Amino acid sequence: MLVLSRQRDESIMIGDNIVVTIVDIRGDKVRLGINAPSEVPVHRQEVYEAIQRENLRAVRLEPGDTRDIGRFAGRTGGQDRPPEAPRR
Amino acid sequence: MRINTTRFGRIDVESGDVLHFPSGLPGLEDCRDWALLADSTNDALGWLQSTTRGDIALAVVSPRRFVPDYQVRIPRSELTPLSITDIRQAQVVVVVARNGKTLTLNLKAPIVINLEARTGRQVVASGELPLQYELTQERPPLKKSA
Repeated sequence: MLVLSRQRDESIMIGDNIVVTIVDIRGDKVRLGINAPSEVPVHRQEVYEAIQRENLRAVRLEPGDTRDIGRFAGRTGGQDRPPEAPRR
Repeated sequence: MRINTTRFGRIDVESGDVLHFPSGLPGLEDCRDWALLADSTNDALGWLQSTTRGDIALAVVSPRRFVPDYQVRIPRSELTPLSITDIRQAQVVVVVARNGKTLTLNLKAPIVINLEARTGRQVVASGELPLQYELTQERPPLKKSA
């Protein structure tokens, strides 16, 4: 791993379009500012890994598992519409 | 386009109906093209079926039908790759999973789809939201986030 020392308000560049800035340092907490192109997803690692695990759990679901889901569905409300999909 | 799926058998998808996820989904980074299918028995349910991997599909629902007080707040930077400037342009769905016998909804990471541009992305919503919101008859209220 590349290790660099930085002070508050200093930055590092990753490639030519990602800038990570040390915004604040307090005790054992560091606040980072990240400027990256919008197509580059930026996540807290533990959050990203939790979502990965959740998706890999979710792909194990089979149609038989969802038979009763309608019991929990209310009427359509708000702006959301049910998924539009070709009827099979 | 014909897809041999493990769950639904052989299905035909119009190429214009394919949804493109430029970054895939966390854990499923290689699956970038998906078809949104209606469930054959349950109108509250849809399936995002990978068009390249027949064994990969995610059950999705519109969260408002199951969690009426779910108000999704998504940083604008998460939406710009989808050419969405207003959340109302978007179809928001959440992924269903199973924890034992209980079905759960991932309210923390909804999938946002721009139906016009046929693009999608799984985003991280702001605030304290559960990755596994359990569907029960009591409808537990969402903890209000700060």
